[in-house]
Amino acid sequence: MEVNFRKIDIDQYDEDALLYNELYDTDPRDPAQALDDTKQNAAAVRGSLARNDYVGALTLVLENAPYGPNVEEAKNLNLQTLVTILNSTKGTDIPGIVKALSADAQDTLMKYLYKGMALPGWGDVSGSVLLGWHEKLTEVAGTGCIVRAMTDRKLV
Amino acid sequence: MAPIEVVSLSQQSPVTCHAFNADRSQIAVSLNSNEVRIYARQGNDWNHIDTLSEHDKPITSIDWAPKSNRIVTSAQDRNAYVWQQTPDPQTGNVIWKPTLVLLRVNRAATFVRWSPNEDKFAVASGARAIAICSFDPEGDWWVSRLLKKPIRSTVLSVDWHPNNVLLAAGSADMKARVFSAYIKDVDKRPAPSVWGEKLPFNTICGEYASPSGGWVHSVGFSPSGDVLAFASHDSTINIVYPGGPAIYTIKLAILPLVTLTWATEETIVAAGHDCQPLVFGGNQGGWELNGSLDDVHSNKSSGGSRSGFGGASPVGRLNSAAFNTFRNAAERGISNVPGSPTTSSSTESEVFTVHQNTITSVRPYAGVPRQITQVSTSGVDGKLVVWDVNAVTPISATGLAGKLGKLQVR
Repeated sequence: MEVNFRKIDIDQYDEDALLYNELYDTDPRDPAQALDDTKQNAAAVRGSLARNDYVGALTLVLENAPYGPNVEEAKNLNLQTLVTILNSTKGTDIPGIVKALSADAQDTLMKYLYKGMALPGWGDVSGSVLLGWHEKLTEVAGTGCIVRAMTDRKLV
Repeated sequence: MAPIEVVSLSQQSPVTCHAFNADRSQIAVSLNSNEVRIYARQGNDWNHIDTLSEHDKPITSIDWAPKSNRIVTSAQDRNAYVWQQTPDPQTGNVIWKPTLVLLRVNRAATFVRWSPNEDKFAVASGARAIAICSFDPEGDWWVSRLLKKPIRSTVLSVDWHPNNVLLAAGSADMKARVFSAYIKDVDKRPAPSVWGEKLPFNTICGEYASPSGGWVHSVGFSPSGDVLAFASHDSTINIVYPGGPAIYTIKLAILPLVTLTWATEETIVAAGHDCQPLVFGGNQGGWELNGSLDDVHSNKSSGGSRSGFGGASPVGRLNSAAFNTFRNAAERGISNVPGSPTTSSSTESEVFTVHQNTITSVRPYAGVPRQITQVSTSGVDGKLVVWDVNAVTPISATGLAGKLGKLQVR
């Protein structure tokens, strides 16, 4: 069967095509501001980790996480900070930490887990660590959390 | 509690949509085809008595007006028909006669609903428009006016406000909106409401989205019309108080809901990909999940080895036959070839809910508006089920409820 027609970008013939950026509100901060915030968070996270406050550290990274286009630098830094936290957590502590997070933070964490899995070998990303977190997070937040990570256009 | 009635309308094909007549003695359904089948109740059986064939692409939605006994259908062929019972001039038998509707849309019609007074109906479509149709006696046909702005994508569902003027619409551009569908020759000037005072055609009275986005699958006005609920594909249900202005968002731990209906001013029944109807309760102070109408623990007796499969575990639905096949292959190198003697039998993939697949439609069945006592559901498994709205089984504290109590007010 002829299927090449499926690859034609029909939106180019549509003056009124729905654009990707119309589907969500973009990050209100400008890129420099977002990067600044993320750097401050990264420093605060080091402090939290020194006190073994994993929930506090994760909350810092997951709340106000940079998203959308134009803030790539901030997004990468935030992912790096998050991976540091995930890698330094003991497996037995994960369920308790995940339960202590807010529902919004759980959803954002799921987005980062999928982002990490899409970047094998990037920085300190470890597939087995991410899968361990994914399993525990799904047990607490359910498949609905995965659905929200896939649906949300505010990509971290 | 067990459902009141379970009818298996089709073994092979999904029930796209269903609509009962006023006294619930007949039902019109589409079994994923271009025909509407009408069944009549005879004792405990439902007999196929009539087929309405005029559409030439699959039917997407059916609505049966209770007072005027007219059926309206919409289909992928970009058409809608209004069906009315008239005597056949040759044989004298009463037949369903179709009247064409001039929809003026160039994409599939996706959803249709009669207005409360049954003098208008709204047809949602993939043409980024909603056709508001009213009868033109001079031409003897149904004409439409299009609600277009600011819809940016396919409209998936609509619901009428009790005042016969306002219309809620859920769309694939991730927004739920409230429009005025005021038609000068049909409607009297509506009384002011929480949605606004002056309401010319295509006034936008509200535009809402879920925090994490997602297609808005289903919308519904509360019986008073003062509250709007919508379910979107991010597994949330959102309840809007326009006067508030407050939106209560309930994040679910399960797969997305795709259909909802209000039972009372403070109760919503919603269902979707998780195969069971859920009941939500609340008021201006907050909303929460009350439980499920489907008691997954009492349904099947033979499930000893797979207990906890249903609603109790949030990852329960992952534990399906298909999932196990892949897990066995990954972990133990066992690959079951489908159809081979060692493959698990078909009962293995049976889920513990009454519906065996996604529920695509939930509608009021018995009671009066503000006090609906029973709802009917139909879905991809070919079943039609009637439920008692008050027989709610609480969902165990683990899993679902842990996440559900959290409400977010914006």
